[in-house]
Amino acid sequence: MSAELFRFDGVSGGYGEAIVVRGVSGTLDTGEVLGITGRNGVGKTTLLNLLLGYLPLRLGSVRLGGLEIGGLRPDRVLRSGISYCPQERIVFDDLGVWENLSLMHPARKPEDLAAYFDIFPRLRERLTQRAGTLSGGERKILSFVRAMAEDLPIAVMDEPTEGVQQENIDHMADLIRAAKAEGKALIVVEQNLAFLEAISDRLMVMDQGRIVLEGRTGEVSRDRIIGHLQV
Amino acid sequence: MDPLIVAQTLNFAYAVISLLLVVLGLAVTLGWLGVMNLAHGEFVMLGAYVAVVTERMGWPFWAAIPLTILFCIVLGIVVERLLIRPLYSRPFDLLLATWGLSILIRKIVEAAFGGGYISLTVPVKGSLDILGASYPTYRILIMAFTVALLAMLLAWYFRSSAAARVKAMVGNPMLAQAVGIDTNALARNTFVVGTCLAGLAGVIIAPVTSVNPFLGLDYVINAFFVIIVGGLGSVLGLFAGSGIIGGLDSFVSAILDRTSAFFLVLLIAIFFLWLRPRGLFARN
Amino acid sequence: MVYSRAIDILLIVAVLAVPTVLGDLWAYNLSLVYLYAIATLGVGLCWGQAGFLPLGQGMFLGLAAYMSGLGLIHVAGGVWGWLLVVPVVIVPGVLAFVIGLLIFRGRTESGPFFALITLAMTLLAFQIATAWNSVTGGFNGLRNIPDLAGMSDFTDRYYIAGVALILAVAFCMWLIEAPIGVVWRALSQNERRIAFFGYSTATLKAAAFGAAGLLAGFAGFLYAPQQNLVTPTLAGFVVSANLVIWAAVGGRGSAIGPALGAVLVGVLSTELRDGGGFGGGLDALWDFLARFWEAVVAGFFIIVVLFLPNGIAGLFAKLNASLKRLGRLPFRPILAPPVRTEGAAGPPALALSGCRVAAGEVRILNGLTLRLDRAAIYCLIGPNGAGKTSTFNTLSTELRMQEGEIRLDGEVISGAAADTLAAKGIGRKFQIPSVFPNLTIADNLHVALWGTRARLVSLLRPSLRRWDTPLLATLRERFPFLAQRDRIAGDLSHGERQVLELAMALAAEPRLLLLDEPCAGLSHEDTRQVIDAILWAREELGLTVLLIEHDMSLVREIADHVFVMHQGALLAEGDVAAVQADDKVREVYVGMAS
Repeated sequence: MSAELFRFDGVSGGYGEAIVVRGVSGTLDTGEVLGITGRNGVGKTTLLNLLLGYLPLRLGSVRLGGLEIGGLRPDRVLRSGISYCPQERIVFDDLGVWENLSLMHPARKPEDLAAYFDIFPRLRERLTQRAGTLSGGERKILSFVRAMAEDLPIAVMDEPTEGVQQENIDHMADLIRAAKAEGKALIVVEQNLAFLEAISDRLMVMDQGRIVLEGRTGEVSRDRIIGHLQV
Repeated sequence: MDPLIVAQTLNFAYAVISLLLVVLGLAVTLGWLGVMNLAHGEFVMLGAYVAVVTERMGWPFWAAIPLTILFCIVLGIVVERLLIRPLYSRPFDLLLATWGLSILIRKIVEAAFGGGYISLTVPVKGSLDILGASYPTYRILIMAFTVALLAMLLAWYFRSSAAARVKAMVGNPMLAQAVGIDTNALARNTFVVGTCLAGLAGVIIAPVTSVNPFLGLDYVINAFFVIIVGGLGSVLGLFAGSGIIGGLDSFVSAILDRTSAFFLVLLIAIFFLWLRPRGLFARN
Repeated sequence: MVYSRAIDILLIVAVLAVPTVLGDLWAYNLSLVYLYAIATLGVGLCWGQAGFLPLGQGMFLGLAAYMSGLGLIHVAGGVWGWLLVVPVVIVPGVLAFVIGLLIFRGRTESGPFFALITLAMTLLAFQIATAWNSVTGGFNGLRNIPDLAGMSDFTDRYYIAGVALILAVAFCMWLIEAPIGVVWRALSQNERRIAFFGYSTATLKAAAFGAAGLLAGFAGFLYAPQQNLVTPTLAGFVVSANLVIWAAVGGRGSAIGPALGAVLVGVLSTELRDGGGFGGGLDALWDFLARFWEAVVAGFFIIVVLFLPNGIAGLFAKLNASLKRLGRLPFRPILAPPVRTEGAAGPPALALSGCRVAAGEVRILNGLTLRLDRAAIYCLIGPNGAGKTSTFNTLSTELRMQEGEIRLDGEVISGAAADTLAAKGIGRKFQIPSVFPNLTIADNLHVALWGTRARLVSLLRPSLRRWDTPLLATLRERFPFLAQRDRIAGDLSHGERQVLELAMALAAEPRLLLLDEPCAGLSHEDTRQVIDAILWAREELGLTVLLIEHDMSLVREIADHVFVMHQGALLAEGDVAAVQADDKVREVYVGMAS
């Protein structure tokens, strides 16, 4: 029985005076993955910033488990049960790989994350390496693992597959599906449509700050989605 | 070994190490957090005056240490909340506000204690014989204390998870919030650690200097130069800066005089500010 | 204008009336305070106008005072002493200008380093003054300096100091209202932006520092004969620090503010030190204030820094501004001279070859090669992180290239500074509207006009504020709000700011215009207007436009040629149809091959 975990209504806001996101609403149940897509500049990252408290909400409300979280500082929001994988500046460059993974969990040991390391052996090889020296794809994987390993009810990810090799993208999809089966809910912003279709239960397409298309995966016309995405 | 050389070496070591002690707090707040607190010297000075009050009350000298720490925690929290936090994004105004604060503190102390020089009794008298040279015991203790403190702090810096969280926050505040770090509280606590280190330095140094309201100024100028020359945010820079400034000061003072030493330090500081403002070993 | 001048006249009268109204003691105290006020005005120019803080004004004051004293003792006294004013004022001014150039050249103000350098210099100056016994008299100073002619009694000294202060304030007013004042204020609000209009920011800041040096020189010249004694403390840190505090408290942004601060604080501290008291039961308060006086000033200084950036004068600024508006004269425009560009005429040929930019391990640009050579609209598109804005930043040297070359019309321009690029006809509009928020619309446009048309020295001529061009006139017709000359840019809506910044970029009449998402955050109607304006400007000026854009409908509408970037390199190029059909592009955008 899945319950509504997260809800946002009429969310609007932007940077300074510019309104970038206009009246976006949506819900998320346990064990559900909501995929959000759209071209650059349509407001996907801005929407996430608004939902997580990095930007002030001009209008609208955000509820986690029924509680209003709009207006809380991001660290409060995230400690309430959301792990976040941002699009840029995604790891702590000055800390080692393992430090990145254990920063908020000092008692953790590498064995605890064995499942992840088995899938991404490169990470295990580089535990003491400074995260800033990893390649772009490796950093994305580290960020992904860190967010998944937080084991929180909701994970929000902004373009997790950008710059990642296809083989690892498939692994990420497997991990997400497995977590979904255990009740984890995700909001994933992506421009990689194939990945999004593989993991999402529902899709939202944004354009010019609004939702222009939404529905269950498979029910929404793929051609229409592509029409909104392409050049 | 020639006792004279031993004595000179000890003087040199004392100059560098005592400078390091005073600079530790600034290394935390400026080198690490990036906060340019011009009132830093006044926290050192306040620590010295706590020692003065302790002596006047007839308490043992060592009681001054916990007292100073308590005092600096409270004052540090107040200053961070009222002055530092509103001005994190306006570093220039922060410089000015902390400078105004330094004047404020100085004048209050001057009005309360008078502007004159106060001498304290040294808590551990006598001298030790080191390789034929006689050197005051208390100074040896200061050096030993500083080295021990430094070792502790370095161990903490490289090993503790709290230190890792501070490094994370300083390098990537947005992601730090994303992993759930309360950056406001962490910044505040780090700042307070810096002020406590400053106060502690003041207490320890007090018996061997003439305590006066302008004590802070003397130290803060040198402390800033250490950070500027050594470079922001790196442990290596801290050592390099203290070594160069403290060593130069001691060396030139011995050969010429204090004024010429200060002169040279100023020239070097100007040179670095002009051509290499990030210092020798700045954090990337 | 008449009304605000009335206030100025009242102040002048008040200054001149002091000895008669308040007596000799006040006159004596105020004479010295006035000289400090003159030096404080210099701090106000640097800090309040050009946006950098000089912590060493005392150094120039001391230098001038010593020069004046030595000159009066050894060279000439009496009437001939007045001739010393020329070298004593000019030397610190020139010295300050040169030091400013050396420090500011080659770097945008990286935080408070300039303040710290001047602080260190002033400490050094104090040391030199104390140590150089034979010349300066060492710690005890230069004594028995003879009077200048006409300075024999207190009242005369007062009038001379008072008139000097009035002249100094007038000098500052002239500078503040001249075009250079507008440019300084723009610089303090956005130094990076103003360089793109063709200004050498180092020279501008050095000029402000030099003007401050002139003022310090003037004050120092009068200081020596007035006090008959010059000591090293004048050149030291405490005096310099006080000057900064007085400027802040009085209001650093205005002509009178710094002087006001100096006079108020100076007078109050003298009163508290020597004066009588409130009388009656308030004596205890008086004593408290007297004892903790400096602490109170410091506390007030902190409050000013936190909450009142415009100081006391700022509290009166609103009144003054509305008075100014009452008396404004109608605008009589002059046609601006043409843009001074170097290099070829005709459409620019920009060529980037193999550009590689890395920050640590991150590859920002990875062998980017592209060429444009027609008067057309080129669009630069690509997914996030492709390096589009970084390309612009590399062009303007904010990002350093490890490898590669950029040529304009065959000439290498890699590494050229922003103002050099502007001189060659490259203009830029930033993604976030970067107008100068505290300037009026008219002044914003003027800054854009003057950059490539006026030499630094011409910025002293008031007539430049009447410059106008036919292009601007047409833009005002298309966008009527631009005609509201006195509206403050910070009050404009986001959309209006985008348009204003575009107008500024066009006003400079570049040959190549780099536009970074000009329609970001705009409504549909505003977007329409901006696009029409860009198309019109392209026709009108024969402009080449390189445009970063995410909105594909816009790209389809206006692009003559499209560059698609991906991971720091060029993925594909061609007209819109060709790019749409390209498989590589589809894969990158949609995440799958067709």
